[in-house]
Amino acid sequence: MKIDYVKTVCPYCGCGCGLILEVVDGVIVKTRPDKDHPVSRGSLCIKGWNAHEFVHHPDRLTVPLLKKQGKFYEISWDEAIDVATTRLRQAADTYGPDAVAGLSSARCSNEENYLFQKLIRAGFHTNNVDHCARLCHGPTAAAMARALGSGAMTNSIDDFTGADLVIMFGSNAAETHPIIMGRIYEACAKGATLIVVDPRTTEPAKNADIHLPLNFGSDIPLISGMIGHILDKGLADQSFIDEQTQDFEALKDSLSEWPMERAAKICGIAPDMIEKVAQLYAKAKNACVVFCMGITQHSCGTANVHAICNLAMLCNQVGRPFAGINPLRGQNNVQGACDMGALPNLLPGYQDVTNSDVRAKFESVWKTVLPQTPGLTVTEVTAAAGEKVHALYIMAENPMMSDPDINHVRERLGKLDFFMVQDIFMTETAKLADLVLPGACFAEKTGTFTNTERRVQLLRRASLPPGDALDDFTILCRLAKSLGLDFNYKDPAAVMDELASLTPIYGGINFERLESGGLLWPCPNPDHPGTRYLHKGSFSRGKGLFVVPEYTPPQEMPDQAYPLTLVTGRMFSHYHTGTMTRRSATLNHEADKPFAQIHPKDAKVHGISQGDPVRVSTRRGSIVLAARLTSDVRPGSLFIPFHFSEAPANALTHEALDPVSKIPEFKACAAKLEREKSK
Amino acid sequence: MNMLEHAKKMVKTLIEEGQSDGVLGLIQLKSGVMPHLFQEAGEVNNLTLSPKWLIAKEAVSLLSRLPETYRLSVVCRGCDERALRELIKRNQVAKARLHIVGLACDADQAKACLCDTPVPSCVDIGTPVKGVDPFCDPDALPFISGEMQVRQNLWQKEFEKCIKCYGCRNACPMCHCSPCKLADELWVGKGQIPADTISFHLIRAFHLADTCVGCGACQDACPVGIPLMLLQLPMRKVLDKEYKYRAGMDIVQQSPLLSNLTKAPSAGLNLPAWTDSLGTGHEN
Repeated sequence: MKIDYVKTVCPYCGCGCGLILEVVDGVIVKTRPDKDHPVSRGSLCIKGWNAHEFVHHPDRLTVPLLKKQGKFYEISWDEAIDVATTRLRQAADTYGPDAVAGLSSARCSNEENYLFQKLIRAGFHTNNVDHCARLCHGPTAAAMARALGSGAMTNSIDDFTGADLVIMFGSNAAETHPIIMGRIYEACAKGATLIVVDPRTTEPAKNADIHLPLNFGSDIPLISGMIGHILDKGLADQSFIDEQTQDFEALKDSLSEWPMERAAKICGIAPDMIEKVAQLYAKAKNACVVFCMGITQHSCGTANVHAICNLAMLCNQVGRPFAGINPLRGQNNVQGACDMGALPNLLPGYQDVTNSDVRAKFESVWKTVLPQTPGLTVTEVTAAAGEKVHALYIMAENPMMSDPDINHVRERLGKLDFFMVQDIFMTETAKLADLVLPGACFAEKTGTFTNTERRVQLLRRASLPPGDALDDFTILCRLAKSLGLDFNYKDPAAVMDELASLTPIYGGINFERLESGGLLWPCPNPDHPGTRYLHKGSFSRGKGLFVVPEYTPPQEMPDQAYPLTLVTGRMFSHYHTGTMTRRSATLNHEADKPFAQIHPKDAKVHGISQGDPVRVSTRRGSIVLAARLTSDVRPGSLFIPFHFSEAPANALTHEALDPVSKIPEFKACAAKLEREKSK
Repeated sequence: MNMLEHAKKMVKTLIEEGQSDGVLGLIQLKSGVMPHLFQEAGEVNNLTLSPKWLIAKEAVSLLSRLPETYRLSVVCRGCDERALRELIKRNQVAKARLHIVGLACDADQAKACLCDTPVPSCVDIGTPVKGVDPFCDPDALPFISGEMQVRQNLWQKEFEKCIKCYGCRNACPMCHCSPCKLADELWVGKGQIPADTISFHLIRAFHLADTCVGCGACQDACPVGIPLMLLQLPMRKVLDKEYKYRAGMDIVQQSPLLSNLTKAPSAGLNLPAWTDSLGTGHEN
């Protein structure tokens, strides 16, 4: 009997916790926390503790599958690679390079993301490559890159423990980033003030010193009210503004639009409370802003993030160890997938595809000519299916659960000439594909993940993929070679070496250096120790840019026919589209049925009791799920987690997009509620 | 010879002379420290003793998987040894398969754990230090003594942070019930945080009333910093004071909760049938 302990990184959220997998004769039998890990220090959340449970699940895909007359047939890898090559080529040859599109994956490693975007760009000469960061922190990347020069968390996770004040906007970290929440509680135990801005009374809100239950999507009025008050009281750091920032006058002028009464009226928070919070933030020695989907998933998401940047720059609460602007990234490697250029306008390391010098650098190494116009985003790819886009390659993403208005998504994906999906389970999306390739999960591969604090960490293989399934690195190399590309990499470490040579922020990173604890980028050269916090001394872009945020209310407001506001999100024991967590016995035992949080007042109006089946409908669709009565949601609103395929929340959401980042407005749409009559 | 070299020599001897089939300890690799089953003398150069990493739970897990003839040595701190002894007493671990290599904690480690017995019964590695009286610790006192209402509010505030990771249960070397009452919807609501404070945390605390060895694995694993070890202290103190019973101090003395009940079942011992809730695979 062979018993091994293997250190690796959690496959769920962006915290990037350390796991130790117990492996008995090649089978992972247990997960335990890594006491020696810099982020998790011997703790895990419920998902981390049970991270191995889906790995050997009988539903795993084990053979390539080809659909003929609506039915899947098992085929060999040779045939699968041949079909993929032929059909993708066919689309490009018939309709031009932009007829092919690829969606890369925030669940896969940096090396796989690098290879995926290289395959699409070099193999088909199109920039049609994107991934689901579009649906979470697209606005963050857009706004923070423009205002500060980098879209990432400015601090490290450890920094939270040293803050004097933490203000969380639209983040339920207790359920979505539990280990980070622990660090924030640690700061509170040392005396820090915790302020939570959220329409819902989430766990962080209950444990906060101050909870601001603002109206849906009214962050800009709230922050504008705060900024106005800070200026009135002379609490802004004028010398910092003068020396380190630009366009402050424009912001100042725009405040005439936001007298306190108007700001307070729209956001629903009393003026004295706005003033109190503004003063606390401005006067704090070191204040950290934390924000998440409550800020970004709005049709004014990019403007919301600009408002936050303005606030931090105004008070000089950025660029220090315990002060900064911190978007919490959702997936294990969503930071890395962005870093790797799985984005339609950026090559690895946030280097612009429209810049000819940048392209020349990549062209000389990739030995090909690169397209110069930005490609389509996730939401634009599905919208263009069957029109501009004829062949689609999705690696480990599940838009049939994660994208807004999935009935519409299904219809559009059906119009593709060729659709291939590479995944570990037969997802709702894979079911629609013509070709399905079986990939490997986190425990079956080597490579790196980059967590939310920019920490690049090493994954270690603990077991082999099931059946004939292959790790995604191998699949990508085989496919690329078949397309005539020179993907002769010995192993993922060789991919890291190539990408580090082209990506300055990863310049000093190699597998050898990552063995213990990982490195926080930017890490430009092999002697560089990594970077704990960004914008030290000056902003990455030079001067911090104030951008006037334009407020737009949610695009679909409640009306007579659909009188409630629907919000979607996550809950603590499941992860995103549920592909993995719904197949983990312990996690699914914790929550095995879809539910809607309903305020008791609304329940009473509709004669609904705890646990009753209810029907929630919007203009897009309708689902039936169990009522969970709680005053954690406001009267007139509903909260539905999007993990449950039997009642997919995204059958209800709509495609109102933020004009800059194209993120959909998952955090507000109009819905109606009925008690479902039992049959 | 320093402490670590001495430990390496001991472990090497155990393997080479065939006294043990393997030794469970900590290994220092390029990837960092983690538990490891040393089976070859060559690996022992990488043995390490820090950080303080409780491995009684690993030992139990290994013994349950390895063949029944496998003889395992474990590099144990005082609390690890107490946990294993208590499990032997409760027929969860076979005494004959286990050999203990005793490692004494240093003064800082004892203080960090508020441990009153930071030494194993036989010290093979390290120098024993005196224990700490947790009832004299100013940070601990508000949680374990003083006015009840104040204490209750303090605990409520701590429990409110619970994210229901089950880490306290998972890390506890003494938790071995299957199925676990904490995952039984009759007692603890599912799918919501924080966990029902009374049922979740107090069921756990009472289940461990006479088995807790004060190792602090629960508290170490808690991501939100609830001082779970302090929750057990008053009960452990009462058992010690009233019955001279301390869990894991030997493998003979039965818990007073068990022995008294065996002699004369108290009223209410026979639980009503409705407590056997459905759907969790209870055995009758």
